[in-house]
Amino acid sequence: MRRLSTAYAPVAAVIVAVIAVLVWFLPSYYTGLLTLIGIYALVTIGLNLFMGYAGQVSLGQAAFVGIGAYTSAVLAVKLHLTPWLGAVAGAVAAALVAFALSFIVLRLRENLLALATLALGIVINVVFNEWDFIGGSSGFKGIPGFALGSFVFDQRAYAILAWVLVGVGIWFAGNVVQSTYGRALIAVSAGELGAQALGVNSEGLRRQAFVLSAVYAGIAGAVYASSFTYIDPTSFGFLLSVNFVLMSVIGGLRSLWGAVIGAAIVVALGQILQTVIPLVLPGARGDFQSFFLGVILVAMLILMPRGLTSRFASDGAA
Amino acid sequence: MTAALWQYFLGGVVDGAIFALVAAGFVLIYQVTGIINLAQGEFVMIGGMTAAALTTGGMPVVGAAAIAVVVAATAGGLTYLLAIRPARGGTALTLLFITLGVDVALRGLALFVWGTNPYSLPPFSAGNAIVVFGGALPPQALWVLGTDVLVFAALYLFFRHTRMGTAVRAAVANPPIASTFGIPLRTFAFGSFVVAAAIGGLGGVVITPIPGVQYDAGLTYGLAGFVSAVLGGIDSLPGALLGGFTLGIVEHVAAGLLSPGWDQGIGFFILLLVLVVRPQGLLGRAARRA
Repeated sequence: MRRLSTAYAPVAAVIVAVIAVLVWFLPSYYTGLLTLIGIYALVTIGLNLFMGYAGQVSLGQAAFVGIGAYTSAVLAVKLHLTPWLGAVAGAVAAALVAFALSFIVLRLRENLLALATLALGIVINVVFNEWDFIGGSSGFKGIPGFALGSFVFDQRAYAILAWVLVGVGIWFAGNVVQSTYGRALIAVSAGELGAQALGVNSEGLRRQAFVLSAVYAGIAGAVYASSFTYIDPTSFGFLLSVNFVLMSVIGGLRSLWGAVIGAAIVVALGQILQTVIPLVLPGARGDFQSFFLGVILVAMLILMPRGLTSRFASDGAA
Repeated sequence: MTAALWQYFLGGVVDGAIFALVAAGFVLIYQVTGIINLAQGEFVMIGGMTAAALTTGGMPVVGAAAIAVVVAATAGGLTYLLAIRPARGGTALTLLFITLGVDVALRGLALFVWGTNPYSLPPFSAGNAIVVFGGALPPQALWVLGTDVLVFAALYLFFRHTRMGTAVRAAVANPPIASTFGIPLRTFAFGSFVVAAAIGGLGGVVITPIPGVQYDAGLTYGLAGFVSAVLGGIDSLPGALLGGFTLGIVEHVAAGLLSPGWDQGIGFFILLLVLVVRPQGLLGRAARRA
């Protein structure tokens, strides 16, 4: 990487600026949703580097979000460490776990890699559930918030923080995918043997992309823990991992903006369905929405397997 | 201690019997289509739910069971026609994600139809627990084990002793060549989904009197079923049987010794080990390609 590209920077800066203004006018409920979208978008950007660009698959990404969240929460509650350092520690912890596990799971490919990452996500969730030191199944309450000086973060500040992280995350990922490194990732996804023949170290690249995706998830987890002040194992289960896949697929696997769009659509859709379904089908409960999310996932994969953004852009070529 | 261990072991045998049925569904679909169907566990839930809901509504168990199997098989067929077939030509991952979507959708649909309440089904035969060397086994366990025997025997006879079974094996061995001999690959793919779902549904009917059933039960069955299938070898029906019972017993004994919450974690830890040490599973053949 000779010089950092700024290709993604202007749009990212505009989005962050818009959010920073918007939060002063939105009711707090919507500000909370914006924060959630930002956190999920951050995870999905990382996931897209690993799934979309490097052509791998992870059905256990929620586990890394959980590791980030728990690391930050435990350090803050038990050692009174500021969440700023907690977020760094969360990213490092997620990265270390991903690095160690990569020697096991990345020996596999495609279907078997999907099963292995799914298994890994569930094993890590069982550890969250059974380890009493980190709260076991009752979770962790009273997680301290972020603060700058004497200003303790409120809803608005979290929305802005989440979206600043999305902006930085996109800018960084944009640099990754436009570098020789990113082109090597795409080469790996197009065919590992061919990439190796061209001198690409595919094993190292897959590992790095996996670890990088865990870093994104770990940071997102730390922000999640502090902004909601409460976490428990069910927050990071298999269904959240499925949701990340959904966001990734809807936005477009090989697109960075797609990650943001996918996260926004899935969160918004969840809200809309929760409101609309009881009106249309009086007997139906709000959580019937998972039926529609499943159907949408199937329909997207059949009709637009490359995601919504495939119409507009060719992020990082293909 | 020994008595407790033996009791855990017996509990594991019952779990293993249902895992083996789900695993058989995975293997059938994977063999014929190359797809890992993550929705497989939902057919167990659909079978159990349909039978329990109809029986609660006053229908005799036999009729409810028959309808439940048909409903599950229909769900399997529709899964193929509506979700899998339109995406043919998609990559392995696209198809895997599609089955994931089907899984989520079926669970949501079950929530809509049956709500969140747990349903139960009376045992098929009355009587006290059967005592086996000092351990207790519910009478219903014999129905589950008997279903295993029936299903696996039927599959064995079909694949080894019928013309159509031979044709399916030819289609699995070499699809293009089988196709040139007039073997209808797509019909077989459809059939594999219907049969796998029917087996899952039947499993759901016979197991439900023991643990009960609710709308989100399919996830657990599905996960355990594919751990069993991978453990035994995803291209081997005997492997499904072996993998199912191995997983059921190991999970149950380990959870009994540690704490109940660990059982799923242990199952998946085994999956990780198997994937690394012997990705083709206990009885499977080495992967066709890297």
